[in-house]
Amino acid sequence: MHKIALIGAGRIGRIHAANVAAHPELQLAYVVDPMEAPAKDVAANYGAKVSDLDGALSDANVAGVIVASSTDTHLDFSLRAARAGKAVFCEKPIDLDLTRAEANAPKFEAANAPMFLAFNRRFDPNFRAIRRKLDAGAVGKLETLHITSHDPSPPPPGYVAVSGGLFKDMAIHDFDMARWMLGEEPSEVFAAGACLIDPEIGKLGDIDTAKTILRTPSGKLCVISNSRRSGYGYDQRIEAFGSAGALRAGNVTESTVEAWTEGGAQADQFQNFFLDRYAAAYRFEMAHFADMIARNAAPEISYRDGVAALALATAAQASMQAGVPVQI
Amino acid sequence: MSQKIDVAIIGAGRMGQIHGSNAARHPDLRLRYVVETDAALGAALAAQTGAEIATLHDVLGDPAIKGVVIASSTDMHLEHSLAVIGAGKAALCEKPIDLDLEKAKAVAVAFEGAPYILGFNRRFDPHVTALREKIASGAIGDLETLTLINHDPAAPPPAFIPRSGGLFKDFTIHDLDLAYCLLGEPPVEIFATASCLIDPKIVELGDVDTARVILRTASNKLCVISNTRRSGYGYDQRVEAYGSRGMAMTCNERLDQVKVWSQAGALASPIRPNFLSRYMRSYAREMDHFADVLAGRAQPQVGYAEGLAALAWAEACAESARTNKVVKV
Repeated sequence: MHKIALIGAGRIGRIHAANVAAHPELQLAYVVDPMEAPAKDVAANYGAKVSDLDGALSDANVAGVIVASSTDTHLDFSLRAARAGKAVFCEKPIDLDLTRAEANAPKFEAANAPMFLAFNRRFDPNFRAIRRKLDAGAVGKLETLHITSHDPSPPPPGYVAVSGGLFKDMAIHDFDMARWMLGEEPSEVFAAGACLIDPEIGKLGDIDTAKTILRTPSGKLCVISNSRRSGYGYDQRIEAFGSAGALRAGNVTESTVEAWTEGGAQADQFQNFFLDRYAAAYRFEMAHFADMIARNAAPEISYRDGVAALALATAAQASMQAGVPVQI
Repeated sequence: MSQKIDVAIIGAGRMGQIHGSNAARHPDLRLRYVVETDAALGAALAAQTGAEIATLHDVLGDPAIKGVVIASSTDMHLEHSLAVIGAGKAALCEKPIDLDLEKAKAVAVAFEGAPYILGFNRRFDPHVTALREKIASGAIGDLETLTLINHDPAAPPPAFIPRSGGLFKDFTIHDLDLAYCLLGEPPVEIFATASCLIDPKIVELGDVDTARVILRTASNKLCVISNTRRSGYGYDQRVEAYGSRGMAMTCNERLDQVKVWSQAGALASPIRPNFLSRYMRSYAREMDHFADVLAGRAQPQVGYAEGLAALAWAEACAESARTNKVVKV
């Protein structure tokens, strides 16, 4: 069993803790969180100890560290874990400041510890199947891509203020997905944003609705549709258009039941928000982390990938503000 | 109706054959004349519909003819429209009104108040009509954003490209009108980016075959338009309308509704292969609307002004794609 330390016992930390505990090769040894109550709660659930970060990192038996703390600490905690020689599993985004994230890249390379940036959607079985079929040439050569990512309802204004904005907080998933699917780095971004849902979000200088177009050097085009509030659940779809057809991954519903009446056919609701919709993705990304630790698997998503997604988010924000396409 | 209304058609090509047979079989209309410069094409449509071959001059001079369907080549649409309207007859004209915005603008005044229907077929599609009704009924709350998918099955022959006006004026123009029709307000900003990914001959002819467009309206509604000249899987025609309380989507029609499950998975039948197959009902409903206008039961739902506006937005798309800048309209 490989011992794991978890930093952050919040919503996403609890998901990772459960997946560590459920994994046959991993054991949750430490929980680190400045908030004592949640740390104790999570530790007690899985027989782990509450510790400070130094305590967890100084235990030579700890093989891996999961960074699921607040975004502003991702980079520092990841670097400390890497420098302690631990395999690192870091939640997205790597940071909100592109310059800082870029400047820290050599430090991670020097630390020479495996660093995995956990963009969960790459591990979703549906999106993985799209990528596999693209690689197999099922629809010829990929030409254009549509990514739809609409949240069920907007976050509280308090969250918006510290989120880094729609592009860095929410669309960053889609920027990573676009890079992964396109197989080519976007070279140009145009983003149109609007505040249509909650004027409070606008007052905080953010937007709640965006449509973004990415362009690659070979002319591939990708459209990303984002909304903080769908009104019909968590809308997560991808369509990949190739030279010989298209691939689509639709939404996952709570059940496959449809109720047919004179009013029509009522399908079940979409799986609610990311904890449910991406439950399998969180399990698979933990299995990947176990592969990194137990079998030296190379991280599927690196620090550099995190920086590249942040660069696209930063460019999208600049494009939206200036009303012009921005070159990467 | 006791007495049928006499109509004529100009053009017996692909669209003329559709509209000609729809007019001929319409219970309120009688197709009297076919005007066509290609004698063989004209004779074929006349024989099929029981109409006579005539010259444009004859048609315009016959007071019994109340309406004329204009399905001539694009470069003749405007001239024929002016002649028909000028003769005091109603017109149903194929899109686009012209490829030259300035030329079309210069004669716009002649169409004010005229019984003139521009055949933007999407507006007459039963699925689009149902979508509009659902949006209007508040089924998804306030409409906020829109995604229009319009992918052709296969790229046209290169010879078509030079006289097509280019992807935006020839193809995207449908989506620009549909966006306006659904959003209920015109775009004020347009960004378009385009590529030539399908056929290098298209780029040699100065055109593109793949494009994405973002429209923004004055109230900040956003619309994405997705265009490609070749899908590889049929004629992909979908609308996604996102509102404050939900989303409404039109799906593709399939050749049949049979689905086959096997070891390989579930295979649905192909979607409709081209616009003739997909929009056959729209063309029939356009003719119904023309009959309603001729009978005085309706005012034209879509006319010259909409055609002119869509043409201007198509030019803005082309300018945006060329300059890589947002174009204000």
